[in-house]
Amino acid sequence: MSNFEKVGDGYSLDLTLDEAQILINLVEQLLELLGEGDFFHHYDSSDPLAQLLAMPAEIVTPDDPVLLRLLPNAYADPEAASDFRRYTEPQLRGAKQKNLRLVREQLTVLVDENLGGVIEDLDSDIWLKAINDLRIALSIRLEINETSFETFELLPDEDPQKSVYAVYFWLGWLQENLLELLL
Amino acid sequence: MGATNMVKTLSKGEVSVSELIDRPWITIVWDDPVNLMNYVTHVFIKLFGFSKERAHELMLQVHNEGRAVVSSGTREEMERDVQRLHEHGLWATLQRDDKI
Repeated sequence: MSNFEKVGDGYSLDLTLDEAQILINLVEQLLELLGEGDFFHHYDSSDPLAQLLAMPAEIVTPDDPVLLRLLPNAYADPEAASDFRRYTEPQLRGAKQKNLRLVREQLTVLVDENLGGVIEDLDSDIWLKAINDLRIALSIRLEINETSFETFELLPDEDPQKSVYAVYFWLGWLQENLLELLL
Repeated sequence: MGATNMVKTLSKGEVSVSELIDRPWITIVWDDPVNLMNYVTHVFIKLFGFSKERAHELMLQVHNEGRAVVSSGTREEMERDVQRLHEHGLWATLQRDDKI
């Protein structure tokens, strides 16, 4: 079973090859959804002032419910929310991408060697945030609510959703494991 | 009539123009079924420097009442707080404090 451990001042994570591969797949999917690399395609730069300042004229509120949950509206008022998004969304998106890329980098080492093993000296803060974003993404797709654990337990093993639920709950367990070391 | 009422209200000191202007902005964290209780507590301690007890209390308020005010101040400060909470995956919004 995978485990975070406190080693001196740092933290390590022991993963099997299967677990590392599952995590990498999830990270890749979320990076793809967040639009790895060029996210400027959201920008409408017909506004001359925005062009001058290299600012987007508008950033569209995401349609995808996962993106809307990860990059939420800061105001109930749509106009204020849209204005805030215009100035802050690229930074928020960038912060999430950066966490996920760092996690992917550390996982890739394990997977490339075709071995499980221990990731040493991991940044607990980055891992916490990345695991949390992965859980949020899965929770939206699974429509997680307060009774989802019972739903999961009642699903027959052959149901394809069962393994997705299992990954979601495993990530929660993993995050709790790291939090217990931090709190 | 409106003017009389206003004078009356102001003389009672219930609402003044300066209070209205200074009325602070607040950051609200909303409950969701995903974020772990320990995670929310951890984020509150980290971002706002709350004691473990205070952070735990606010986390429970979010969980039980569906929302909690976690900070108040200028609009700019609250926008910063909301952005930091969003970076940590918490669902937060800001608004003017509706309590006078």
